[in-house]
Amino acid sequence: MTRVYEAVCVLELLLMIALLVRLARGPSVTDRILALNTISSQAAVAVLCYAAAAGRSSYADVALWLASFSYLAAFIWARYLERGLL
Amino acid sequence: MRDVVVIVLAAVGMFVSLTATVGILRMPDLYTRVQCSSKAVTVGTLPVLAAVVVGQGPLTAYGGRALLVGLLILLLGSATAHALTRAAYKAGVPMWPGAVVDEPHEQGADGAPG
Repeated sequence: MTRVYEAVCVLELLLMIALLVRLARGPSVTDRILALNTISSQAAVAVLCYAAAAGRSSYADVALWLASFSYLAAFIWARYLERGLL
Repeated sequence: MRDVVVIVLAAVGMFVSLTATVGILRMPDLYTRVQCSSKAVTVGTLPVLAAVVVGQGPLTAYGGRALLVGLLILLLGSATAHALTRAAYKAGVPMWPGAVVDEPHEQGADGAPG
């Protein structure tokens, strides 16, 4: 079971590294926000799987924090973009 | 038996997450990328979280938090995709030249002449 969680964690890390390409290239600001948002939801899953693999339940709170606050950040960015302040 | 369920759920989730990543990297414009991100990330992360719930039990430290993270992703992922796409459309992010329909523009709802 621990092996499965470790494999998921490593694969999510590889996907996040691949998404960094879109974060660096993305023609518009919204592309970058989208890539960052996707990276942080993958990171939440990776951190949760790492916590389950390592047996440290305090790490699992980091996943909860990532999942809730990354969406908040994306909402604020979208609001600024829509009102033309950026 | 439980190990098999966990492995299958994790494999399904990782495969869909891989397709989401390929879509975000390869799709031609922002709107199609948002489609890949919102749907495939939701469908890709939920089976992995379900694997954690099945593997650890729903009321443990990991399973309970996995349920909460899944609920947040379900509720907020689609709302974020909608807000981002709407902001990008109003900010005038261009569509792929091969796009065939632009309904707010045809109805005059975007404020542009036409």
